[in-house]
Amino acid sequence: MLEVKNLKVFYGAINALKDISFNLDEGEIVALIGANGAGKSTTLNTISGIIRPVSGKIKYKDQDLTKISPPQIVQMGIVQVPEGRKIFTRMTVYENLEMGAYTIHDKTRVKNNIDKVFSIFPRLEERQRQMGGTLSGGEQQMLAIGRALMADPLLLLMDEPSMGLAPLLVEQIFEVIQNINQQGVSILLVEQNANMALSIADRAYVLETGQVALSGDAEELLKNPIVKESYLGG
Amino acid sequence: MITSIKDGLRTGLTTAIIFTFLILIGFTSVAANIIGDVLGNPEALNDESQLPVENLLILIGLAGFITGLVTIRKGSSPPWIDVLLRGLTGGILAGLIVGIVIYIVGSFHMEGVDFRAYLPNLGTAQLGYLLFYSTPLAASTTYLLYFTVFSLVGALVRKTLTMLTGLSTQLKNLKSRVSNWSDTKVFKSFASNQLFQAGLIILVGVGLYFLPLVWGSYWNYIMGTVAIYILLGLGLNIIVGFSGQLVLGYVAFFATGAYTFALLTAPEPHAVGLNLWVAVGLSTLVSILTGLLLGLPILRLRGDYLAIVTLGFGEIVRILIRSDLLTPLTNGPKGVTNVGQPIWRGHIFTDINYMHLLMLLVLAGLFIAKRLKDSRTGRAWIAIREDQTVAQATGVDTYKYKILALLLGAAFAGLSGALFASRNQFTGPEDFTLMVSVNVLCIVIIGGMGSLPGIVLGAFVLKGLPELLRELADYRLLAFGALLVVMMIVRPEGLWPGQNNKKGKMAAFTNSLGEDNLEERA
Repeated sequence: MLEVKNLKVFYGAINALKDISFNLDEGEIVALIGANGAGKSTTLNTISGIIRPVSGKIKYKDQDLTKISPPQIVQMGIVQVPEGRKIFTRMTVYENLEMGAYTIHDKTRVKNNIDKVFSIFPRLEERQRQMGGTLSGGEQQMLAIGRALMADPLLLLMDEPSMGLAPLLVEQIFEVIQNINQQGVSILLVEQNANMALSIADRAYVLETGQVALSGDAEELLKNPIVKESYLGG
Repeated sequence: MITSIKDGLRTGLTTAIIFTFLILIGFTSVAANIIGDVLGNPEALNDESQLPVENLLILIGLAGFITGLVTIRKGSSPPWIDVLLRGLTGGILAGLIVGIVIYIVGSFHMEGVDFRAYLPNLGTAQLGYLLFYSTPLAASTTYLLYFTVFSLVGALVRKTLTMLTGLSTQLKNLKSRVSNWSDTKVFKSFASNQLFQAGLIILVGVGLYFLPLVWGSYWNYIMGTVAIYILLGLGLNIIVGFSGQLVLGYVAFFATGAYTFALLTAPEPHAVGLNLWVAVGLSTLVSILTGLLLGLPILRLRGDYLAIVTLGFGEIVRILIRSDLLTPLTNGPKGVTNVGQPIWRGHIFTDINYMHLLMLLVLAGLFIAKRLKDSRTGRAWIAIREDQTVAQATGVDTYKYKILALLLGAAFAGLSGALFASRNQFTGPEDFTLMVSVNVLCIVIIGGMGSLPGIVLGAFVLKGLPELLRELADYRLLAFGALLVVMMIVRPEGLWPGQNNKKGKMAAFTNSLGEDNLEERA
């Protein structure tokens, strides 16, 4: 479904991605784990088209995403849930969701999608008239995910969904991610919380300073001594 | 005890600095004259053109009184002895410093030193007035006395008020009631009544039609300027208020519109003699093209960088217009005279016709801006303003919409530029200084970013109010600056904030709460 090949990205003179290659099959949850600055978020932003690579290819449905504009990428079904629950703080929950369906022009479809999101996150329905900024951290993360779902994604790019959330909430969010996946949405998950990520992912890639250091089935990686040592806290 | 003295001294020092500054720029006599006008005192007593001293004394007393009020901190109610202490220390320090300044300046004045070389407003007449037409020592003693006594009175009054009624809390309640009156049920049901709405529209329409007929050409000129600035505000609001791009060189588009219109219609220097309405259309178009020229390369910049580049652009356009290089085209620093004026029913547009046209355009502009705001495009702009990266992630073509905002804003500026040139019958490079951009930006911000009624209100406050402050003539900018500072403290969200901004404060507040608290609620 998605195939990333020899991706190379620079921020000015800094080589953020040296050589990243990986692939994701339809229906999979694939995790990218690694420390700060390993290039996880950069990889996601490059797939979304927000950052352009110096070289390398991102193949999706026989097309090279590196040559397609971000709005078109969203229309092709690849939607990002940005890091740090970036929602529109001065729009209501409802307006936030409407913004998520920006690429969809059919109003009844938008309404259906909102109902769908409300059924996944009943909490958002209760708070639909509230300003996004007044939500709690967990609710904001739900809203960010809900907003992404509004665009009818085929592939969700999730950037650190566990960031800054209490452990109990992290578990809830990951359950939701699994549910979304079971409804047929493929998921590319970027996480620092390697333990959680590996527990729901099918496969995973370990990134180190802009390169893929390790890859394999999530279960295997969980047992891998190097991964245990470096990312799972021994 | 110590804190009371400290507070008093601090307030006294502040008053002294402000008051000394006002004395040195000669503002005190103007203010005293205004007080005289308000109280109905005569301006000059006799042929010697001596000004009435009472007015100045009232001004000093007022300054002392305010000092006294301020020495008591908001919401606190110190014991009486502290109140006395605060009022006294504040008043004495302020009076002492101002007195010394007056004494020094007065003594030099008596010895024949002319201050006008350094402080143009401190002439003999002014200084005589400041000295109450007596000796420096007597005058400075009077300043000290007045400041001390009235500061004491001020402090006591403040204390009495807080004690008797708990006034400050009541004031707060009143304030919140007033600011929420438009949210109340009565107002809402009344305002949504269709009959009421129709009646209101007709009433306003009739009023707008007849006003220019009755209030004379002076007011038509002023209100015309206000209307032009409303149009400019609406345009810049699309760029800054809706899409959140801080463009500081907005005057460039205004200038382009005005010059295009002037050069196409004036007999000098080109004698094109184009049909006026075509010229208006072309002016708008040329402004839009200028917007494109500026926008394509620079709209990838964000925030501060965008502001700096556009700031430069505004100046470049003005300097180009007056440059030797372009003088054959633009008539250089002399400007273009005899700019074309439209003909209406056989006669040249009068001030009334211009006013009517401007009113129509303002209404149309408001309508367009309102429709844009509520449209898909408007939502895209607001998303970009809120967070460009996230907007991009939700599939908004940020570059396209930013350019679109700039072009629409430029169109508004081009149109108002053409009208501006036509109404003034003249256009010159000095009409398009940086101040124009700053003023328009102030209108957008003062009114409340992104809020349409706010812009109308802002234009009245910024371009209409200075006319009402004619009395202050030379001190208009000072008064105005003070007003801006006060407003930014009292109502940072603008005079008439948009829906999103009003709640934004609340959001910022909750965001500032600890993350832990928020988790508990989840």
